[in-house]
Amino acid sequence: MKWFINTWRTLNQPAKYLTLGTISLSAFLMGIIFWGGFNTALEMTNTEEFCISCHSMESKPYQELQQTVHWSNHSGVRATCPDCHVPHNWSRKIGRKIEASHDMWGWLMQTVNTEEKFESKRLEMASREWKRFDRDNSLACKNCHNYDSMKWDDMSKLAQKQMKRAAEIDQSCVDCHKGIAHKLPDMGTSRAPELIAQVGSGETGLVVGAQYFTALTKPLYFNQKTDVEAGTLNIATKVTVLEINGSRVLVGINGWRKKIGAGRVIYFDFGLNILSAQLSKDAALEEGVMNVFEQKEDPMTGLTWQRVEAKIWTDADYLINDLQPLWDYARTTYTRSCSVCHTQPAEAHFDANSWPGMFKGMIAFVNMDQDTQALVQKYLQEHSSTFDKSAH
Amino acid sequence: MNDKILYNTPMNQGRSMVYKLLSSLFAKELDQQLLQELTASQAQAFFAQLASDPLLSQDIETINSELNSTLTSVNTDHALLELAADYCGLFLVGTKHSASPYASFYLNDNAVAKDDVLLFGEQHQQMQTYLKQNQLTVQSEFPEPSDHIAVILAYVAHQACACDDSAQLSFIRQYLHAWLPRFVDRLTSVDTGQFYSAIAHLTLAWVESDCEGLKGAQ
Amino acid sequence: MNRRHFLKGLVATSYVGLSSTSVLAPFNALAAAGTKANDDWLTTGSHFGAFKMKRKNGVIDQVIPFELDKYPTDMINGVKGLVYNPSRVRYPMVRLDFLLKGHKSDTSQRGDFRFVRVTWDKALTLFKDSLDEVQTQYGPSGLHAGQTGWRATGQLHSSTSHMQRAVGMHGNFVKKIGDYSTGAGQTILPYILGSTEVYAQGTSWPLILEQSKTIILWSNDPYKNLQVGWNAETHESFAYLAELKEKVKQGKIRVISIDPVVTKTQKYLGCEQLYVNPQTDVALMLGIAHEMITSKLHDEKFIEGYSLGFDRFVPYILGESDSVAKTPEWASKITGVSPEIIRDLAKVMTKGRTQIMMGWCIQRQQHGEQPYWMAAVLATMIGQIGLPGGGISYGHHYSSIGVPSSGAAAPGAFPRNLDEGQKPLFDSNDFKGASSTIPIARWIDAILEPGKTIDANGAKVTYPDIKMMVFSGNNPWSHHQDRNKMKQAFQKLECVVTVDINWTATCRFSDIVLPACTTFERNDIDVYGSYANRGVLAMQKMVEPLFDSLSDFDIFTRFAKIMGKETEYTRGMSEFDWIKKLYNDCKADNAGKFDMPNFDTFWKQGYVHFGEGQPWTRHADFRDDPEMNPLGTPSGLIEIFSRKIAQFNYDDCPGHPTWIEKSERSHGGPGSDKYPMWMQSCHPDKRLHSQMCESQQYRETYTVQGREPVYLNPTDAKQRGIKDGDVVRVFNDRGQLLAGAVVSDSFPTGVIRIHEGAWYGPVGKDGAKQGGSEIGALCSYGDPNTLTQDIGTSKLAQACSAYTCLVDFEKYQGKLPDVSSFNGPIETQL
Repeated sequence: MKWFINTWRTLNQPAKYLTLGTISLSAFLMGIIFWGGFNTALEMTNTEEFCISCHSMESKPYQELQQTVHWSNHSGVRATCPDCHVPHNWSRKIGRKIEASHDMWGWLMQTVNTEEKFESKRLEMASREWKRFDRDNSLACKNCHNYDSMKWDDMSKLAQKQMKRAAEIDQSCVDCHKGIAHKLPDMGTSRAPELIAQVGSGETGLVVGAQYFTALTKPLYFNQKTDVEAGTLNIATKVTVLEINGSRVLVGINGWRKKIGAGRVIYFDFGLNILSAQLSKDAALEEGVMNVFEQKEDPMTGLTWQRVEAKIWTDADYLINDLQPLWDYARTTYTRSCSVCHTQPAEAHFDANSWPGMFKGMIAFVNMDQDTQALVQKYLQEHSSTFDKSAH
Repeated sequence: MNDKILYNTPMNQGRSMVYKLLSSLFAKELDQQLLQELTASQAQAFFAQLASDPLLSQDIETINSELNSTLTSVNTDHALLELAADYCGLFLVGTKHSASPYASFYLNDNAVAKDDVLLFGEQHQQMQTYLKQNQLTVQSEFPEPSDHIAVILAYVAHQACACDDSAQLSFIRQYLHAWLPRFVDRLTSVDTGQFYSAIAHLTLAWVESDCEGLKGAQ
Repeated sequence: MNRRHFLKGLVATSYVGLSSTSVLAPFNALAAAGTKANDDWLTTGSHFGAFKMKRKNGVIDQVIPFELDKYPTDMINGVKGLVYNPSRVRYPMVRLDFLLKGHKSDTSQRGDFRFVRVTWDKALTLFKDSLDEVQTQYGPSGLHAGQTGWRATGQLHSSTSHMQRAVGMHGNFVKKIGDYSTGAGQTILPYILGSTEVYAQGTSWPLILEQSKTIILWSNDPYKNLQVGWNAETHESFAYLAELKEKVKQGKIRVISIDPVVTKTQKYLGCEQLYVNPQTDVALMLGIAHEMITSKLHDEKFIEGYSLGFDRFVPYILGESDSVAKTPEWASKITGVSPEIIRDLAKVMTKGRTQIMMGWCIQRQQHGEQPYWMAAVLATMIGQIGLPGGGISYGHHYSSIGVPSSGAAAPGAFPRNLDEGQKPLFDSNDFKGASSTIPIARWIDAILEPGKTIDANGAKVTYPDIKMMVFSGNNPWSHHQDRNKMKQAFQKLECVVTVDINWTATCRFSDIVLPACTTFERNDIDVYGSYANRGVLAMQKMVEPLFDSLSDFDIFTRFAKIMGKETEYTRGMSEFDWIKKLYNDCKADNAGKFDMPNFDTFWKQGYVHFGEGQPWTRHADFRDDPEMNPLGTPSGLIEIFSRKIAQFNYDDCPGHPTWIEKSERSHGGPGSDKYPMWMQSCHPDKRLHSQMCESQQYRETYTVQGREPVYLNPTDAKQRGIKDGDVVRVFNDRGQLLAGAVVSDSFPTGVIRIHEGAWYGPVGKDGAKQGGSEIGALCSYGDPNTLTQDIGTSKLAQACSAYTCLVDFEKYQGKLPDVSSFNGPIETQL
């Protein structure tokens, strides 16, 4: 098996540089070269035995499955891991295999090798699976459960009503039927679970010198080891990875600060109150953390601003390549949550420095966790009339 | 069942027919079909026959001729719409400037003046009880309170062939004639057209003659 | 001929072929089984309060307060009168001339004209055809579907959401920014305090009761206004007001109501009043500031650390910049408050913990931005912003603000916007150079002067050429100013569509009127306790929709069906599916924090209670660390002088708070020689805006000779030969109305009050029922917006200025016309 893992590792490594398409292409080429072995391997990975060969799969999801009707029922038909989790369509299957290399990495990194670690990642993993089901319109379910062959008369009135409607729009099964084969994750305690499900929990092999965006508001640390926090790095902030050390990275944060107080707050750009990072007093004063460059006065407030670059440590997780998924999530959330009481103003109706005031004043009735609030505010600011001149 | 056979005489069928016609005229706007039926020769014969009611206390001829002149003038869709607007203004909105077709607006002492009657009130409840007792209900296509004049007239139409004269008479007196004159007055004073005033007068004249008839038969 | 022969003859004419079926049908016991006519208490909620109802023979019978509402209002007594109101919109209706001529109809008829009943299909098809025509002919700038109002409670059936989602699936349209209640406040305060403030949670009452020594109620009547809430209200604030009353009595807290009139709150609390001439509050505040500066009462350290621009403001106070020192003597001449009292006030406010509580009326006047800004400056000078029981708030009179929030997540709502990826039928976004968003109160101006460009909040707004309006659960013929100007504007519109429960004036000025059922004829879900977010309420259907009315969900689902977008609209879910979804989503949001039972248990129980919240202090985080927790202002600090506003160069809103004379002002101000009386049109005591005005029996608890009360000072009344109970004609150059005199010394000379939300009921000359659509017609009931000015507060907010309004009044001598407000359109023949 080891050769197989190594091959996939090698393939997985350059994922930071290659698009999915190029990876697929390499996979395709490799497929031609190792056609026989590849196909065999592919088939082998589609067995239940392969799935549960890894301890974390055997001990949790597999055990849970055995308690459900998908395992044991009066018809004697059993759904095993690949029935639900491997697409039946070939190109999808290959795509899924490529995605699954992530799990290999996880296995190597022992991401979920304890009960606690598994539970802490459960929602993230489940969300990824749900999203996959959504994308396939629950095709895996529909291979066995076909709307067309359902016997409506055997259903209760309520079930009939709901299923018929679902059938009419060929609704994805997991829209309603979540947590039927494994334990339903705890949706309430993790941070911004829906957001993370959408944008992921960060790239795996970070590259020194590359730029990333924060997918959550992240703690900052004085060095690669200590747990003493040195401030926070705001969500959707661009950083440059300067050094990698275990599960910590040293990042560079470029921006501007107001020359007031201890100058601890780093903003996106000159004169714009778009938050990038807040350092603790000690951190801001620590030698080598805050590098200060030119300064100028903001005519709108009379305050002096300084261009700065902070170099400071943070965890290696929740750093992603692309900002767009964050904005997509923010836009959807804003449009939905801020139209409950009134029509939400267009993003470009206010400028970047007006949005915090508008947003803060209206937040009382809105259900958003702190991360999402910070993200939506930043989204509004960066899509405001300051940047989008098409308004009015 | 026996009662039904007993009371289902040609004479009562005739009475029932008149009540049914009046009910349908109050129940909704005149449409093309009903208009055609009302202006057809059969209907002319019907109205002529109705005018010969020996007990009609009012000058039914005048009413009939008004009715006829209105009906014959309604020869365009527009004219029909004008009638529909009359209907709407009289029966489908408010109270102050309309002739609410509900018994409760006239049976509560001086309600027109007080103008504080709520819809679906006491009279609605009473009519509901009567309807239920007779295994009847208001059609779901007619989502009006049960004290609407069309419901009461339809109920009398039903009773005409289903129970004895004295029961009918007492119902008509208590639940229809008790407020009909006030309703007709009201309608006449606010109607901007002639058709519904004429129908209202016809209804009053007919109900009064029918009461006489029912009384005489006892 | 005897009767027997006669009747037989009737049958012989065989006129039995009557096509119409009887309105009666055989009673089908089977079909009716399961519908219980009498049953247990059902739970529901409204802006007036959460409550319970019981039916008798299928009709709503008893109404009692919700068990967790310890201070219910008597407004719930009006609910039955709302549901079974004779002025219910019973069927879809179309104005006859519009039906005949469509967009070419005679629009001068609007207001009291002939309607005909049509089927839902017909009405909705006409609606869609009109939208088609406007989108094709004019594009999105021809349609304004963004004028929205207070709707009824309920997160699923929220009328504005439904209307805007459905109309949005058809095409794009003009929208509004801001609202009538707080237009000036919510625009100015983000520049000053970094948030709109007016709709933000405020410092918790328990902290105020514990810490405040002085509470200033500035133009603020919480005891009146807390009766209604944005969600199902449960009136928890009243427990704190009761406590405050006790503390006032014990002398532990001094409450000063700064107001021209004796308010309901002042009477309740038994607190002090400081009379100030109407619209002169800014001058009073400047006088106080002058005293603070010259007597060094202000907190220089706080100003230094937490604000910007004080140095540019002081010269104005001292008269160095405009050679008018804003001394207490100067202020006294304008405000009618003696210099001694002004000086004393400066001392009182700076000594001990002082909480300033601003009401909203004060910013619904010309330059309404100024008093809010200046009050923030005073609070900054006092230096207690961010301390419990100190600082300033702009919302303690609203929707349970100040009651500690439970912290739970509230249920979401039916989506107002299109789902991701959905496209409208007409997807043009070409507004032809006009603005797609206009300040809310400027829409009548836009209709009258399309293409005109105005300043608004630092930007230029060009008025779109509006041809069609769509309203749902919204009555602008109550809340907008200057009825006669509105009539002119409405004559320019080609099509007006209104969805409502009862025949509001807005319905009467429409072409297509669609009947929505009331909240009590549908199932829904809502928060109770408003800002306290105390729990989730099941809003259980009491009766089936009356007549041909439908729920908002059903109305716009049918409309979507006509567009071929039914599934897109509903996402394939029914009313109950949605309620379950909203509940279950809320349950998921609260998982691990607040236990919520499964849906069935919740629905049976009627509510889920989240429990008490933690007391909290507004701006405490800012005070704690202004660098890390900056305000949302450009500088992150309180901006006493705003460079940003200053660079707009607005003469009516300069860079710091300024006393600016009004276009109309009583007590010696401009225009007072012609019309000496200032009319205030504050939020009503017995309604929510115009909601509940139609409920007759309840209305009769406060009307005078069937008219809306006008509150008059005894001297003013006597001078005009008016006594309590008389009918009075109130008038100015803009219009005239009749109202019923209530003579009371709670009102000073030169001040009258008519509550807004009184239904507009125009009548013709000499009370003729015809002619109400004419410009200048007399309002027979007493809608104060017949008289108010339709001007913007300033170039900044462009909000409504209803409070800048002078009138006079006289005893009405003519023949009293019937009140025409509550009876649907008035039948008029050409």
